[in-house]
Formats: sequence, structure tokens, C-alpha cells
Amino acid sequence: MAKTILVIDDSDSLRQVFKMALTGAGYNVIEAGDGKAALALLDGRQINMAICDVNMPVMNGIEFVKAAKQLASYKFLPILMLTTESQEEKKEQGKAAGAKAWMVKPFSPTQLVSAVSKLCV
Amino acid sequence: MVSPGDPGQLLKLCAGLLPVWGRHLATSRAQSEVAVSQMLQAFSDIGPHINMAERQSEQINDALGRHHGGVTGLVGACEQSLAPVLQDAGLSASSKAAIEQVLAMVREAVGLLEQIARPFQHETQMVAAQVDRMYMGFQYQDRISQMMALLEGDIVKLQSALCDDAGAVPDLTEWLAQLETQYAMAEQHKDHAGTDEGGSEADSDNETTFF
Repeated sequence: MAKTILVIDDSDSLRQVFKMALTGAGYNVIEAGDGKAALALLDGRQINMAICDVNMPVMNGIEFVKAAKQLASYKFLPILMLTTESQEEKKEQGKAAGAKAWMVKPFSPTQLVSAVSKLCV
Repeated sequence: MVSPGDPGQLLKLCAGLLPVWGRHLATSRAQSEVAVSQMLQAFSDIGPHINMAERQSEQINDALGRHHGGVTGLVGACEQSLAPVLQDAGLSASSKAAIEQVLAMVREAVGLLEQIARPFQHETQMVAAQVDRMYMGFQYQDRISQMMALLEGDIVKLQSALCDDAGAVPDLTEWLAQLETQYAMAEQHKDHAGTDEGGSEADSDNETTFF
């Protein structure tokens, strides 16, 4: 059965790139445009991994990671932060919040699929 | 022409001009988003076909090259099976010629198939690699959009400062410091400091950091 990845990014075009790269590699993709919308999708359904932007309206990526880690069913959900942010300080914030990896955009689909295959449970 | 000594006129000029600049930026940003979205849609339509062509070319080459039962092995297998028959002293000359002719035809057909299949695999791999590069290129729109959105916001802020409180000129140091807190990309910081001469490449480390 194909694994499901939750993709969270406020950019429609970026979500399309994620979707094409991941569905091409055999994953199911569900999408959210911000952290709050993504949290609403953590409703008990099977999600194997999340890929999350940092700078988003309504609820940013770091806040989302913190909130997701509070949910018993998703406490161990691996989260990859994928962002234009390359500052070490932000990376540390992501790590402290509970993210498993940090990747800077622009990414190559091959690089993304490789990271996902390492993290996806 | 506004004289340098007339700050009121200069304020009026900026108050009129800034919203126009802001609208131009907003339109450029919106159009670049539409353009990239349409190109991505086109790629999402052809992407599965490219993936399928790549997989099929791999399968064809696998089928050709497989040691036992592969098409390439067919010639050897035919030659091996027919060798005892060809050595049979009782075989007529016409039968021997017919068998050799059939073997030559099989050899030629397999050779042609290999000649077609190998470049096909190379071509499909090359196309897939270029599509990867295009997906990377599309992501620049997101960076551009973020940079332009920040400028739009700052233009609106400046316009408000000029219109709402014409008497008090905003403090430059404070303004710049506040602006800098909103940067996400390394090149924005470099541009702010004036240490980067218009770098066209995204300042990405292209590495994944695993925690």
C-alpha cells in the first residue's frame, strides 16, 4: 500500500511540484495551504510523513510542528522542513520543535524523494 | 520638476507614485504565479508519460539484455540449438543454407532492436533529468514572489507613513532593521547589506540536514 505524505505550503505551484515528484515515486499526497489547515487533517487518518514550509500565513511551519507533536497519534510523525530559510537560527528552531530534517528550496525532485525515502515510516 | 527644497511636493510625489509602483509589483507577481502554475499544469500532464517512457525503455533493455531468455541471448540460444543439426552429415545443402539464412535473419533483427533500444533509454533518461531541472527552475517563482511581496508591503508601509504622518520622517535605521527581520533568504540579507552584486542563483546549500 502506498504511503501517504502530507504536504504543507502556501504556494500552489510549490505544492504542485511536491505532488508531481512524490506521486511519480509512488506516494499518496494530501495537501494543506498553512499549518492550521494541516492540523485539521491530523484527524486520525494514516499519514506516514509531513513536508512543511516555514513561512506561511495563519500558522507557520514551526508552530505546526510543535502542535503536531502534541497529538498522541502523530507524536512520532517524521516532519521534513522544506523552506527558502537557510539561516542556522531557524534550522535550530525547527530541530527544537521536533522536525527530523531541513531542506532548502529550490530542491531537485530526486533529492526530495531520496530524503523522503529515508524518513518515511 | 520638484525643487529639492520643497519637501511637501516631494511627499506628494512619493504618495502618488508609490501606490503605482506597488500595483505594478502586485500585477507582476500575480502574472508570474499564473505563468508558472500553467507551465506546471502542462508538466503534470506530460510527467506521467515521461515516467512511463523511462520505465518502458528500462524494461525493453532488461528484456534484451537478460542472460537467460533475453532477446540478445536468443541468437546464441538458436545457434547453440542448431549447431548439432548443422553438423549432421545427413543434412542437405539446401536445409543447411535455409537454417543459416534464418539464423542470419534473427541476428540482424536482434541487432536492429538493440540499436533502437539503447539510444531510446539514453534519451528518456536525459528527458527525465531535464524535467528535474525544470522543476527546480519553477521554484524560483516562489522566491521571487516572496521578495516582491516584501517590497509591496514595504511600499504600502512607506506610503502610509508619508500620508498619515507627513510631519514625522520615519527613522531609516529602525526602518531597515524592521525590514531585515522579514527576510527568509540569504541573498536578501546580502542585498540588504550591499555585499552581493545581483546574484542570479538562489543561495541554497542543496544539502539535506538530518537532525
